[in-house]
Amino acid sequence: MAKKEDLLQGTLDMLVLRVLSRGELHGWGITLKLEQLSKSALQVDEGSLYPALYRMEEKGWIEAEWRTTENNRRAKYYSLTRAGRKQLEVATESWDRMSAIIALVMQSA
Amino acid sequence: MNLFRPLRSLFGKSQLERDMAEEMRFHLEQRAAERAAEGLSPEEARYAAERRFGNVASLQEQARADRGWVWLENLLLDLRLGVRSLAKSPGFTFIAILTLGLGIGANTSMFSLVNGIMLKPLPYADADRLQHVYRVTAQQPEGGHSPADFLDLRKAREPYGDFAVFASDRVSLSDPGKPAELAFAGRSSANLFALLGVVPQLGRNFLPDEDTPGRSQVVILSQRTWRNRYAAAPDIIGRRLRIDGEWHEVVGVLPASFNDWRHLGNVDFFRPFTFTPEFSRDRKATNLQLFGRPAPGVTPAAAAAFVAGFGERLVRAHPAEHAGSSWRAVSMQATAAGDSGGIILPLLIGLSGFVLLIACSNLANLLLARTMTRAREFAVRAAIGATRLQLLRPLLVEAGLLSLAGGALAVLVAYGFRNWAALRSTGDNGEFVWFEVDWSVMGWAFGASLFTAAAFGLAPALFALRLNLNDTLKSGARGSTGGRGQQRFRQLLIVGQFALSMVLLTAAALFIRGLHDLHHRRAGWQSARLVTGGVALPAGTYADAEKVHAFQRLAVERLASLPGVETVALGRATPFFHWTDVRKFHVAGRTRPAPGQEPAAMVNSISPDFLAAFEMRLVAGRAFGEGDRATAPRVYLIGQSTARAWFGAEDPVGRRLAQIAEGREIFTGEIVGVVADFQSVDPDPNPVVHHVYQPLAQEATRGFEIAVRAAPGIAPSTLVSAIRDTFAALDPDLPVRRLQPADRNIDRALYQLGVLRDMLGAFGGLGLALASLGIYGVIARTTAQRSGEFAIRLALGAGRRDITRLVFGPGLRQALAGALLGLIGSYGATQAIASAFPGIHTNNPVVLAVTTLILVIVALLACWLPARRAGRIDAIAALRAE
Repeated sequence: MAKKEDLLQGTLDMLVLRVLSRGELHGWGITLKLEQLSKSALQVDEGSLYPALYRMEEKGWIEAEWRTTENNRRAKYYSLTRAGRKQLEVATESWDRMSAIIALVMQSA
Repeated sequence: MNLFRPLRSLFGKSQLERDMAEEMRFHLEQRAAERAAEGLSPEEARYAAERRFGNVASLQEQARADRGWVWLENLLLDLRLGVRSLAKSPGFTFIAILTLGLGIGANTSMFSLVNGIMLKPLPYADADRLQHVYRVTAQQPEGGHSPADFLDLRKAREPYGDFAVFASDRVSLSDPGKPAELAFAGRSSANLFALLGVVPQLGRNFLPDEDTPGRSQVVILSQRTWRNRYAAAPDIIGRRLRIDGEWHEVVGVLPASFNDWRHLGNVDFFRPFTFTPEFSRDRKATNLQLFGRPAPGVTPAAAAAFVAGFGERLVRAHPAEHAGSSWRAVSMQATAAGDSGGIILPLLIGLSGFVLLIACSNLANLLLARTMTRAREFAVRAAIGATRLQLLRPLLVEAGLLSLAGGALAVLVAYGFRNWAALRSTGDNGEFVWFEVDWSVMGWAFGASLFTAAAFGLAPALFALRLNLNDTLKSGARGSTGGRGQQRFRQLLIVGQFALSMVLLTAAALFIRGLHDLHHRRAGWQSARLVTGGVALPAGTYADAEKVHAFQRLAVERLASLPGVETVALGRATPFFHWTDVRKFHVAGRTRPAPGQEPAAMVNSISPDFLAAFEMRLVAGRAFGEGDRATAPRVYLIGQSTARAWFGAEDPVGRRLAQIAEGREIFTGEIVGVVADFQSVDPDPNPVVHHVYQPLAQEATRGFEIAVRAAPGIAPSTLVSAIRDTFAALDPDLPVRRLQPADRNIDRALYQLGVLRDMLGAFGGLGLALASLGIYGVIARTTAQRSGEFAIRLALGAGRRDITRLVFGPGLRQALAGALLGLIGSYGATQAIASAFPGIHTNNPVVLAVTTLILVIVALLACWLPARRAGRIDAIAALRAE
């Protein structure tokens, strides 16, 4: 489990930040959005989203607020902070660079 | 980053947990609803949702680990568990904390003593720069100086810095309408406080010219005198007091910090010297203490070299006074009272360390036994996957908790010790030994606790790590005593404990015995029916010799006429302690040795009945009589060994003796008798061994001791008030110091050794108690654990005696082995004590034998109690209990 976590850690955070950059969502909403955007190709333990959320909240990238949903349920809504936005930029940039390098290697080898 | 979040997650944990649970539940419900909409039954939908979600508990734990201070949470949990587990066995906990508290407490007390005496600087500015200058002669390695030498030095001081002198004196202090009191006064050069860097709390320092004639009737009070005698009166400055019959004006009060018992702090008040032309010419006196402060930039070595060089110049310039002398400067800190203890403080620290070691090994043993009974619990926890750290943590936490509690108790013990020491050492002058329990002491206490926690927590931890899971689980409910290795380790601990307590006990016993002998040494004199006290006639009222002699004659006459009084004697000193009046002598008619090489002797000026009052024996010639007056020819008595040393086989009676002063022979007189040798109770050997007596009536002696011998059958204490009244009638302004039965005065003088004796005694007792508690505890527990085995042995036909022997034998062997090892250690401790107090005889085989016997008996008892219980096991009940 720890291994999987390591593998996903950076990317999962980045994906969540990306999803949240379009507006605040609760955990379930993030799950749905990820599913929808990835066309259900992403297979993760859905629960591992939550430790990632708490971790990012800890780091100050996102902040949370309890509110009621349209169905009148209480849910915790997460939104990006200024630091989170900056982090997203940094992560996206390094991701772009990394994937470009990997692509380069894979094509030329 | 929110700083408070970890704390919130720690203390407001439930709220966060609820949030987390609710959020996850929401997610699961949504997913389940989605699946249900796809047609799954609610049950199946929920399972499907949970499958996709993963392990909720583990995810929550991970989230918790990510966000909070998990280790702190765990620590709190461990602490809670530790407290609970200790509370479950209150007996063990009580003994453990008590053991530790006393062990660490003894150690901490000793540290606070060392801290207060050796480590703390004197209360002066840049105290480590200050120097004490001695004049070294063959008779007096730490001699004082004369006013003339000081004034010469002051003129030549430039390359050094500055010097100040001080001399102490006993004076009578009287205020209008109050009885006179004897005070411990000091005279100093006007610059003393400036040199020390002490600023008066009230008023001012001496002015630079206040040590000149006509200006010196001023006084600076110590804080203690100001508070005790003048109730801290704010208007004290400018008040006038009578000192030795002369009026003085109070100009200052010293700060409380100056009351440091180690140096000048016990002086009641200070006056400036009066450097009259006559006083300034005096090169004979040796009573001035000389202090120096090297100028900035002058190294201590350079300063000392200057002082030594000045001493050499003096020898060349004034050979009559200074031949054979040299000057020496040492750090003032090293001359402070208590610093001369030399080996004694390290010895006390070492011995208290032994107590601590015994306490540690005791606890290691107790904890080990405790851990062994929990071996199954550990095995089970290890079997279900607890890591080593997780296994050890509760053990370490328990040890830590115990030692913290022990450390707290130790601080209390140290406080108690401080108060006890202050109480024990309170002198008649209000001087006392005082040291603060400050932060460094607290630090020591808790440092020692940490050390002990590590020391005694380690044993059970090692045991737990080496635990063989298989065997332990298999051995089932049957009691385990641990493997051979553990047994050996525990036996070693016991042997060590007994060795250490043997050292403590013998050191204490030998010292107590030696001090007792010293205390009751009545070698050449008796004190049983005597009352003694000190009188100092003020020079102001008793200006000339005639007045002094008249007073002394009258006092003897009046005292002798009191009912119940058998003999009355006056003398400059009693034979109880070393005489401090040391002079040089020459046998008339022989060639004079080189200046400074003349033999020195302690001199006592005594009244005619002195020898009779103290039951000192005359071995030849006659004692002094009423005829030996100021106007009669000078006469002397000498000690027996002095007679042997100076006259060999010749008869000294009738020979003539002279004193050497300023290189000249004076006071030549006839030796009329020889007095048997005697020994004082002073523990330090005196470098001067010879005794010379001269009639009190032939030299005016203002400070003298009175000795009144009660008639047979009369308790000396009943005479005290009559003696006091007699003196009050003679001179109402005259205090009599320490007027009480002579034996009490002797006790009083040896109080410091008494304090030491009590401490050593406490260490010895504590060590023995802890060691026997240890051996008892271990044997009792082993016995309890082996009850099944014993029951089987009994069932197979072993006698109860066999069982008792089985328990008794090894325990006793360990105790004896320890005692034997300890004997070697006690030899070292004894040597250390003997080197510190040559006056105390420490080679006492009887005491050694008795101590060993006591230790063995205690060990016997500690083993026998549980062994007897082992022999009384009810075999059937014990076997059924399995």
